[in-house]
Amino acid sequence: MRKQLVGFCAVGALLAATGIASAETVKVGVISTFSGGFARWGEQMKRGIEIYQKHHGDSVKGNKIEIVYRDDTGPVPDKARQLAEELILREKVQFIAGFPWSPNALAVADVVTEAKVPTIIWNAATGVITRRSPYFVRTSFTLPQVAYPMGVWAGKNGVKTAITAITEFAPGVDAETFFIKAFKENGGQVLESIRMPLSTTDFSPFFERILNAKPDALFMFGPGGPSSQGIIATWASRLRPAGIKLLATNEIQEIDLVGVGKNGIGAISTGHYTETNDNELNKRMWADMKAMYGEKAIADIAMVATYDGMEMIYRVVEKLGPRAKPEDIMQMMSNMSFPSPRGRLVIDPKERDVVNDVDIRKVDESGGRVTNVAFDKVPSVKDPWKEANPAK
Amino acid sequence: MSSFITVLLDGLAYGMVLFIISVGLTVTMGLMRITNVAHGGFAMVGGYLAAMMIRAGVPFFPAAILASVAAGLVGGAVEMTVLRPLYRKGELAQVLLTFGLTFVFIAGLTLLFGTNSQAVPLPDYLSGSVHIGFRDYPAYRLFLIATGLVLAVFLWLVVDRSLYGAKLRAAVDNPRIARAVGINVNRLFTGTFIAGCGLAGFGGVVGAELLMLEPFYALKYLVVFLVVVVVGGLGNFKGSFVAALAIGIIDTAGKFFFPNISAYFFFSLVFVLLLWRPNGLMPAKSAA
Amino acid sequence: MTTLPTRSGLAELSAQGRLGLAWHALPWVLAFVVFYMAEGYLSLWTNALIMILLTLSLDLALGYAGIVTLGQAAFFGFGAYAAGLFAIHVHNDPLIGLVTATALSGLFGFVTGILILHTQGVTLLMLTLAVAGLLAEWANRAYEITGGDDGLQGVRMGPVLGLFRFDLYGKTAYLYSLAVLFVWFVVVWRIIVSPFGRSLDGIRQNPARMRAIGTPVWWRLVAIYTISAAMAGTAGALSAQTTRFVGLTTLSVLVSGTALVMLMLGGTRRIYGAFLGATVYVIVQDYAAKVNPFYWMFFIGALLMATVLFLEGGLMDLGATVRKYWRRAPVKKP
Repeated sequence: MRKQLVGFCAVGALLAATGIASAETVKVGVISTFSGGFARWGEQMKRGIEIYQKHHGDSVKGNKIEIVYRDDTGPVPDKARQLAEELILREKVQFIAGFPWSPNALAVADVVTEAKVPTIIWNAATGVITRRSPYFVRTSFTLPQVAYPMGVWAGKNGVKTAITAITEFAPGVDAETFFIKAFKENGGQVLESIRMPLSTTDFSPFFERILNAKPDALFMFGPGGPSSQGIIATWASRLRPAGIKLLATNEIQEIDLVGVGKNGIGAISTGHYTETNDNELNKRMWADMKAMYGEKAIADIAMVATYDGMEMIYRVVEKLGPRAKPEDIMQMMSNMSFPSPRGRLVIDPKERDVVNDVDIRKVDESGGRVTNVAFDKVPSVKDPWKEANPAK
Repeated sequence: MSSFITVLLDGLAYGMVLFIISVGLTVTMGLMRITNVAHGGFAMVGGYLAAMMIRAGVPFFPAAILASVAAGLVGGAVEMTVLRPLYRKGELAQVLLTFGLTFVFIAGLTLLFGTNSQAVPLPDYLSGSVHIGFRDYPAYRLFLIATGLVLAVFLWLVVDRSLYGAKLRAAVDNPRIARAVGINVNRLFTGTFIAGCGLAGFGGVVGAELLMLEPFYALKYLVVFLVVVVVGGLGNFKGSFVAALAIGIIDTAGKFFFPNISAYFFFSLVFVLLLWRPNGLMPAKSAA
Repeated sequence: MTTLPTRSGLAELSAQGRLGLAWHALPWVLAFVVFYMAEGYLSLWTNALIMILLTLSLDLALGYAGIVTLGQAAFFGFGAYAAGLFAIHVHNDPLIGLVTATALSGLFGFVTGILILHTQGVTLLMLTLAVAGLLAEWANRAYEITGGDDGLQGVRMGPVLGLFRFDLYGKTAYLYSLAVLFVWFVVVWRIIVSPFGRSLDGIRQNPARMRAIGTPVWWRLVAIYTISAAMAGTAGALSAQTTRFVGLTTLSVLVSGTALVMLMLGGTRRIYGAFLGATVYVIVQDYAAKVNPFYWMFFIGALLMATVLFLEGGLMDLGATVRKYWRRAPVKKP
């Protein structure tokens, strides 16, 4: 019993060597949020997996790909860590994936390093994450990767003064820092930086203050979901009439705009995945999604990162077989580049982190949807956080 | 000056939302002595139902009324089945049961409506702005202030000036004597609980722009509702009214003037107020 | 007055004394059975041990002394951050860190207790919430110290007693937590059978009369609140040391709520109520989340309601209640 636990890899390698590895089950543990206020993340990831498996089947060369779901219930790092240990020791998974939340991803770094389990980050966007374990690779984005181009675009496109208003938690501070850096480098002036409490429900007093300062634009970052919707709605009623632009990042997604409606129109944002982009894979994903989950289903960054993450796993199993060495898997995953619903997924082999083309988009009504429409693009953005903090 | 008035109006509107939702809790917690932490759940039920009806084409006001009636009926069903056995048990049992009920609400609504937040679309005449002398101001917030005021006057008339109010106060002060003089205390409490939950449901609908409807609504705003009731003085309508407005205005003004330390405002305010007046701003004279 | 006092702490213990040592050994024997049976689940069980400790601390304050609190998370989180920061900046020895975190949490409990314990009921409840809320806001904003929302990174623990390394399988973490829980259990036991513990029983049931017979009620409450805070701090410190991570959620009101639920589920003032309640909760949550992760809240919610409606004294009363329904005989009261 204990010997089995010590190293399924060793056992796997042995089986592979003796040639009976032809039809194995490859287990992928998915740690995401399936209950509570953030359950949407888990739902979108699950859909991403199911759509991918509809496109590519649930096995590779006869090896079944089995998904084991675990609920981290939200940003609860110790829970995530416990689930990772269970998945490794109990379910003997070959891959771990998921992680809507940065703290959860950071909390499992030690565990997956010690157990050598390749782990794919499907959302968590704090820059440092992939540095914390050599077994991490990321298919989503990093916050500085989208906040920095926003600052550049604003500085170069007639925005002279701005106020930043972010919700005060780590990702918000990241976004603020890199927007301001880029904006100042490009000639912009930041009049004030407001950090709003996470618990804020009524944003109007902050916006009244911004209105008094009369900046050209407001750069916002919220925690997504209802709070972000509140920020956007308050902008629409207080600042938009005064001609103050709203600048934001990935959180302006079609899936969130449903709760905002026409209030969102005119908001400018940067993002690595724009729902209306016209690449074939994206259209196919949308069509199948609507067929599988109904007309109300909407694709988002979590679904796309999951779809691409599944592609990574399928490619690994296809080429290296079901029981490859973790080092070989990481080597292969770090050098990947393939078509994605976002356009193309490219991994920077040095940092094991994603390199994204970042779209500049504007919210508009298009074909009955209030959604993002891209009008400019910054190609191949590497994570600016890593450039500002070189590895020692 | 103009932004001073605007901030005051914003604070009033926020305070009124707190009042509309919390006044139902004043009834259940203050008068009926049920420590009801599921109160936010009834607000949520009202909000979700209204959102669904409005999306299906029902106009705003009929939807709001129907939804609050539905929330009240859910409340009545809860009172008669699971709460009534608890009147004699301690507040801890009540907390635990209503906590469990909150979980069931959250899971049930998520099952029916999914995990996304629910928008309650406003009618055109409320979603625009009104010119108020020196600037344009959102009509919706003016509507909130007016609604809160009307409701406050109405409740004051009912509780202080009607036979029903007299019976209710009697039943709370001394249920045994009230029964002896022929008041049907059970029916009175059930009716009052239904009214309290209905008000919560109504607040959930009209306040949805400020307190966004989402699966965790019932837990997220619970502390705020409780604070209004406790700071106001248990069971005191006027106290709740004053507390809700004070919290709304001070919180809003704090965010305007000192945005970067506003995170501490709410709890500091609660801490100081309750140390200063442990029984609330206006402790109820009766039924200590 | 709170829930009906079915048995006083003392009466209960003497009743158990008649049952002999075997019953008292049972939970600890089970804990070792778990250790050998639950490979791969040990971190779940370590978490259960930590939650038992937290729930037991709540039982002291709320069950025995009648202090209505939803602020245990403040001490749990305080202990966790204290232990984490101590390991990073001062010394990585687990025991020194644990003792330091415990003492600091106790001090924090003492200071806040002095401020708020002259109030009672819902007012006290709100004040405990406010303390926890303020601390959580501070921890979120002071990210240079606490790591904010990303959590406290880089906690590296040394081996326990210089001998036992924290391993991936969680064996050291489990036994270490079990030993700490046992020490606190003995302390709690001593407290509730002492005259001090008996006076708490009286204070809970009738503070005015206790005051009249000369008991320094307020100081007794501050004392038990301090001990309870120290204990919750130990639980937090264990969580920080065994997971080598501290997140903002350690300070969230959900932690306090969960501990309360566990306590009520198991039964207050029963010592083993905390053990039973926390264990059942952890198992149900884990199981329900696997069966259908979307709706585990529904299971927990229904379980809570059923407990209140049908099991007045929590699961510890299960036997007596079942007898009552089967034989239609009244529950025997000692």
